Amino acid sequence: MKKSYELSAIIIYYQKYEYDEIKSLYESYKQNLDKTNLSYEVIFVIDGNMPEVLNEVKSIANENENIKIIKLGRWFGDATSLQAGFEASEGKLILTLPSYQQVEAEEIPKMVENLKGYDMVIGWRYPRMDGFLNNLQSKIFNSLIKTFIGTKFHDLKNNLRLFKREILNNIYMYGDQDRFLPLWAWRLGYKVKEIKVKQHKADYRQKFYPLKSYMERGLELISLFFLIKFTKKPIRFFGSSGLIIFSLGTILGLILFVQRLFFDVPLADRPIVLVSLLLIVFGILAFAIGLIGELIIFTHAKDIKDYIIEDVYQFNKETESKDVANL
Amino acid sequence: MDLSIVIPFYNEEDSIKPLYDAVTSAMKELPYTYELILVDDGSKDNTLKNAIELAQKDSRLKVVKLKKNYGQTTGLHAGFQNAIGKYIVTMDGDLQNDPADIGNMMNKLGEGNDICLGWRKNRQDSKFTRLLPSKIANWLVRNVTGIPVKDNGCAIRSYKAETINKFPMYSEMHRLLPVINALTGASFTQIPVKHHARQFGASKYGLSRIYKVIIDLVALKTTFSSFNKPLFGFGTPAIISGLLFLIALASTFYVWFTNPGYPLVVLLGSSALFGILSFTLVFLGIICHLIYKSGNLKIEKMYKLKINKN
Repeated sequence: MKKSYELSAIIIYYQKYEYDEIKSLYESYKQNLDKTNLSYEVIFVIDGNMPEVLNEVKSIANENENIKIIKLGRWFGDATSLQAGFEASEGKLILTLPSYQQVEAEEIPKMVENLKGYDMVIGWRYPRMDGFLNNLQSKIFNSLIKTFIGTKFHDLKNNLRLFKREILNNIYMYGDQDRFLPLWAWRLGYKVKEIKVKQHKADYRQKFYPLKSYMERGLELISLFFLIKFTKKPIRFFGSSGLIIFSLGTILGLILFVQRLFFDVPLADRPIVLVSLLLIVFGILAFAIGLIGELIIFTHAKDIKDYIIEDVYQFNKETESKDVANL
Repeated sequence: MDLSIVIPFYNEEDSIKPLYDAVTSAMKELPYTYELILVDDGSKDNTLKNAIELAQKDSRLKVVKLKKNYGQTTGLHAGFQNAIGKYIVTMDGDLQNDPADIGNMMNKLGEGNDICLGWRKNRQDSKFTRLLPSKIANWLVRNVTGIPVKDNGCAIRSYKAETINKFPMYSEMHRLLPVINALTGASFTQIPVKHHARQFGASKYGLSRIYKVIIDLVALKTTFSSFNKPLFGFGTPAIISGLLFLIALASTFYVWFTNPGYPLVVLLGSSALFGILSFTLVFLGIICHLIYKSGNLKIEKMYKLKINKN
């Protein structure tokens, strides 16, 4: 008989990131998952080709119950892995756990307690004990999000998250965007709570990433900003910027034209003419891209899920008592 | 079910009961079976509680609770999703519309119109902050789309349900919904309706909406008029810019041969720029075809549905 679980814990082994001794980490998670008194399963997602991880996870699966292993054929990114783990999961709640010692495992029961009245609970490593520079880069990243998106989360890189199943039913995650899941949930209207969790001692070490990954973060922020603010009105973003650039170019062109006509300033050797033309061309292109965005939205808007009906209340004589109890 | 009345509410705890009373007494005179759909758009006050209290006593009420405040367009859309009537009437939740007008509107729909719009004959709003922007906006809509809607801001409207459900609703499209419908050939008529000054709560609109109306209109008009143009309307600009490219290139060569030593950077540069623009526009036009083909909403299908029906 198939058992249904209350909670599915998902651990993602991610090729790009470091991971810690798998068995002892699993044991510490297991101890604390037991304390929640929920029936649970543990899903290991291995993102890419990591034979040593696979072997170790297999041996864990041999010794323990309720374990699923998913191996992706190549590296796909943390959000795709989460999606894969989610599709294999059965629990009503989803708990994602870091693959390295990021937070103290004893915080897991606390997460479950805090879910009451919320749809998602995310961990916030506080106080941050790792190096000054790590702390700084995390602060910069999170406050950039605050500036552009308008909501404050302190620790988006924290992998310890607990949320209701319906969140991933309504949000499709892909690529390398896992860290932004709380933002998407917040935007759709889910109540997200941040709770302070103890950072694990092993997480105190200084970590640096290659320059490339900082640039990637920056680009991700830009696309996130656009997607969250203007998904359904691309023309307001591209069209406005296009119009502004176009007008700048036109004004500049007019000035040059007047100079040529009335003040006899020759144009042929002035590169500024090209600047004016460049602005005009760029403005037209930005506007055109905005229109294409509108076309995409118009022809696909019926598929885009961007609001959630929490409940529909209708009462009649027979069902009255039941529905009232539902409130 | 003949009629679904859809009313989105946002922080209107005081208005909800009087509005319910007004609707029930207006509908008592009319021969239609109806449902009243109250959409709570994430209110922070007691709107939801008051609505549920009413619904418990009256099974014709449906209360749709949204997860958070998404805006009026979404509120209406959520209401439409739950409506089962053959006709749909929409209204504002702030008591500015009078449900007594529903009867007249339904008569107009009975005469064979797809949409009946209200227009506020004696508006009870302040002249400069509300009336003037609204006049400008209406003038713009009329002239850009060619659809003579008198009052795009008037929330009391009635539709045949089948016309409304064909369309995507996003951004702030609810105001322009009748215009979109009319653009695809739905027949519409307008009747003067009563307008009351706001009794409770604060108004939720500002001047900034004109800018939004303009830019939404441009997008809408382009989408609707471009699908049967060469390269989705990018064809003509591409040709113009291609011609400019040729002219600039020709004059470069002309100057080069007739006037050796004369600086050519600007002429050659502008010819290159126009050339790039022309090609890019053609590419974008091709991409539009791809998008349109893969999309699930075809503008010509909307016309077709309309023709089939009659």
